[in-house]
Amino acid sequence: MANFVYAFIIRLNDKHILLQLFTRNIAMNPIITCTNLTHHYGKRLIYENLNFSVPEGRILGLLGKNGTGKTTTINILNGYLRPSSGECTIFGENIRHINPITKQRIALLIEGHVQYSFMNIEQIERFYASFYPKWRKEAYYELMELLKVAPRQRIANMSCGQRSQVALGLIMAQNADLLILDDFSLGLDPGYRRLFIEYLREYAKSERKTVFLTSHIIQDMEKLIDDCIILDYGKILIQQSVSELMNRFKKYTFKINDARSSLPANDEFYNPAVYRGNGELFSFQSTEYVERYLGKHSIEYSQLKTEELNLEDIFIGLTGKY
Amino acid sequence: MIKAILYKEWIKTRYLFLLLAIILVAFTAYCQLRIGKVVSLRGAAHLWEILLTRDHTFHETMRYVPLFSGILLALFQFVPEMQQKRLKLCLHLPLPQSRIMGTMLGFGVNLLMALFVATYLIIGLYLYHVLAPELISRILLTMLPWFVAGFAGYAFVAFTVLEPTWRRRLLNVLAGVAFIRIFYLSSYAEAYNQVIVWLLIITLALVGFSFLSVSRFKDGVQ
Repeated sequence: MANFVYAFIIRLNDKHILLQLFTRNIAMNPIITCTNLTHHYGKRLIYENLNFSVPEGRILGLLGKNGTGKTTTINILNGYLRPSSGECTIFGENIRHINPITKQRIALLIEGHVQYSFMNIEQIERFYASFYPKWRKEAYYELMELLKVAPRQRIANMSCGQRSQVALGLIMAQNADLLILDDFSLGLDPGYRRLFIEYLREYAKSERKTVFLTSHIIQDMEKLIDDCIILDYGKILIQQSVSELMNRFKKYTFKINDARSSLPANDEFYNPAVYRGNGELFSFQSTEYVERYLGKHSIEYSQLKTEELNLEDIFIGLTGKY
Repeated sequence: MIKAILYKEWIKTRYLFLLLAIILVAFTAYCQLRIGKVVSLRGAAHLWEILLTRDHTFHETMRYVPLFSGILLALFQFVPEMQQKRLKLCLHLPLPQSRIMGTMLGFGVNLLMALFVATYLIIGLYLYHVLAPELISRILLTMLPWFVAGFAGYAFVAFTVLEPTWRRRLLNVLAGVAFIRIFYLSSYAEAYNQVIVWLLIITLALVGFSFLSVSRFKDGVQ
């Protein structure tokens, strides 16, 4: 029963009282919803009519090349940017007018792990603790012990990686229901990055936290995220679970007998290319579909191979190398 | 939560507070020494004569000290908030935006007030022993516009630093310079007696301009 929520919506009008009962699994409740989100910087369109939601208890990664609007989306979600049009809600509240009580449930990591660098480790913990009722001081200091810095050392005097760890420690201590992390892996050394990913996934799954994050290092995301949104310039290219994406999206390579051949455009294929007689394309379609396509266009080929891809290859396959 | 914001502001400004306190005390002491020197060399009567017949208060060296105090305080408080757009951290705190900014600006105004009132008290207490109340009042009223200019400097620098665009910052600086110039137009003793209350009211209202800058920052104006 705990996994179900019952919502009664009572609508009153002149003649009728309608009682509607919805039963829905909690896991599907959207924590973040963006509807028809459009944003421009001056005349430059960043994206248009973006629609997505982040369900409760899921870890969703927003992936995209530089300049596709990842940080713009984070800024809009946190109310630091008024979108050109469209609306976003977090916990059902419009992000432009979020109640302070709701804000206590949202942890935010700003791009570059920005924090109050004029404070030291103790001061910053003392500062934030009073704002968040579920604050976990011990979680913060457990992570700080790994840093091997003096408690009174100013954050400004720490290395980039250490500063990142302080910012992440504060996020963990806040014990929020929703974590929004903008480029969380920036500046972390590989060991700590791996540790943090394992810690974050374990923490999010065991405590049913919802996580919305971006990162430039996509190979890390594979071990962390449940779902991904891949942004291309101006639009969402794809939004689905990582496991489904990895099962369905394939790379096809083949030899083309006539090196001058090119691959005709097809909506089902991403970034088809021929280089020195080697053809490649990416698709959700089956091998049979690719064979039919090559046959239909009278392309003489051999050695057609299907490759399973990791998330980084999938990202490149979908968005292209440039 | 308000205490935590005050704590953050104190961490940013505590060393500056000490520095400003030392500077104000040093300038105050210098002015009192000059007065003491006149009294010891020429007698109190000569001092009274100068104060009554010439527009000289022996505190002219302090003219710009409150203004620079206000400017420095605003810089120390708000430049760290705007570096790397750190203000986002503040605005994400679970408090209404107006209360967060009100607390930060209130802290600055009160810190300046504490410094200026302490300076006034030191000057007043010293002069109490050498001058008649009317002359003390003349000196303090002559100095008052300089201290109000300190608040104006604070208000305009906060307004400018919190503004997200450089073009608007420049306009804010120009407006600030024009307004602050008013406090230094006349060097006559007690020249501002008729308008100083209004200037003070306008200056305190100008502190609220920073809310406009923060609102523009929050809208992502670039």
